[in-house]
Amino acid sequence: MATNPRVLIIDDTEEVLSALCKYFDEQGYEVVSADNGLDALKLLEEDIPGFDLVITDLVLPNVSGVAVISIVKKKFPKVPVIAITGWGEHPEALAREAQADLVLEKPFKLPDLEKEARKLIAGGSNR
Amino acid sequence: MGPPIIGVSKHIQHIRELVDHVAHTGLNTVISGESGVGKEVVAQNLYSRSPRLGKPFIKINCAALPEGLLESELFGYEKGAFTGAEQKRRGKFQLAHGGVLLLDEIGDMSLPLQAKLLHVLQSGEFTPLGSEKELRTDTWVIAATNHDLKQDISEGKFREDLFYRLNIIKIHIPPLRERQEDIPPLVDFYVKEYAKQLGGENIEIPSPRIIDRMMQYSWPGNVRELQNVLKRMMVLGNCDQIVNELFATEPENNTEVATSVSTGQRPVSLSDLLDLEGENSPDNESFSLKTIKRKAVDQVEREIISYVLDKTDWNRSKAAKILKISYKTLLYKISDLAITPPPGKRR
Ligand SMILES: Nc1ncnc2c1ncn2[C@@H]1O[C@H](COP(=O)(O)OP(=O)(O)O)[C@@H](O)[C@H]1O
Ligand SMILES: [Mg+2]
Repeated sequence: MATNPRVLIIDDTEEVLSALCKYFDEQGYEVVSADNGLDALKLLEEDIPGFDLVITDLVLPNVSGVAVISIVKKKFPKVPVIAITGWGEHPEALAREAQADLVLEKPFKLPDLEKEARKLIAGGSNR
Repeated sequence: MGPPIIGVSKHIQHIRELVDHVAHTGLNTVISGESGVGKEVVAQNLYSRSPRLGKPFIKINCAALPEGLLESELFGYEKGAFTGAEQKRRGKFQLAHGGVLLLDEIGDMSLPLQAKLLHVLQSGEFTPLGSEKELRTDTWVIAATNHDLKQDISEGKFREDLFYRLNIIKIHIPPLRERQEDIPPLVDFYVKEYAKQLGGENIEIPSPRIIDRMMQYSWPGNVRELQNVLKRMMVLGNCDQIVNELFATEPENNTEVATSVSTGQRPVSLSDLLDLEGENSPDNESFSLKTIKRKAVDQVEREIISYVLDKTDWNRSKAAKILKISYKTLLYKISDLAITPPPGKRR
């Protein structure tokens, strides 16, 4: 990869969001984050260079993660999306239906997530 | 179609922003809030800003119709599907094809119908009653509810899978009393509307002082109640008296009700409690030890649970601990025994 990959991370639990952001930042990603779906949509609409990857929680205030996935896949079909879900939450099936590239159940290990992220980014690029 | 979403509060600004960003998506949406807060207005605004504008906007109230009728309204039927089905009839899903279907009061839909709705949302297909053919429907489903659907799920009244499938976009509209600053612009908008309709010269309109007082009122019927009050003011005049009447009927000011609840004046004897001379008299058809026992137990439970809820200021998890029942059971009992919170506390 020529430049640092840009990743959009969405989660409404502050500790989870900051842990994810910190980790991806340390791994050399350019990290942009949102703690609800509406802010994520705005970032997706406004962001000029575009994202190389979106990582989203599923249950979010206002615009759910499932909605974010559907919208990303419609507007930017090549951008890979990873859904991360709390255990016992039902919308995993919905995330797959919305064409999430990967659905990962919490708790997971950050290095495992990052490895999957790298694989997906290598597989397809929106630039 | 319908008014714009009027208001200056943060809540309303946020809702307008949300509507602007999601209207193009056509993703299943749930709009929640008390009756009269503007759920339908928000649904209409979603539709007006969507590419579906110009296609049908169909609304159905799931609370107003008995189960069988609601089913045939939603899915339609073939001629002869049941006694009385003399003509084939198209269902709302067919009528709304390409457009929007607003399912109002979705929380009141029966479980069997919820299952059928889930099937339509999963497959995009439905079958009219008495038909063999599955029909495809491309309908944007927007559901409105004044229930807390999460609570309905915990009481087994609403399907969790349907909940998640509907809740792709969620828009909550707080009650008017939590956004008083929206009252002046709403008054302004509807005074102009009604002045046009009434057309007279010397219509009385609420003064700034009256509007100030209106902002202090609790508006249990939300914007719909505000509209009615404004109409009354403009037709009858005498704004002062109409505002006074509003405050006089507010539950908090209704001392009779308030004291009987808080001091816990209760019937003294057990036969009073059981109403053996009246409704539950042995002369009645429905009299039996079993039914009276059931009623007595319900009555006692209602008293005790209300008492504990009162003492814990409606903190339900605290109350459940004191009563030594699970939180879920408490929620169920509150609803089953129709125990209502004092005004201001959420159900
Ligand atoms: N924010 C608003 N701006 C303009 N009109 C509103 C607003 N909220 C509610 N209304 C009006 O109040 C009345 C009740 O609103 P409605 O959408 O039917 O409430 P609900 O569906 O929540 O019961 C309608 O006539 C509606 O036009
Ligand atoms: Mg309504």
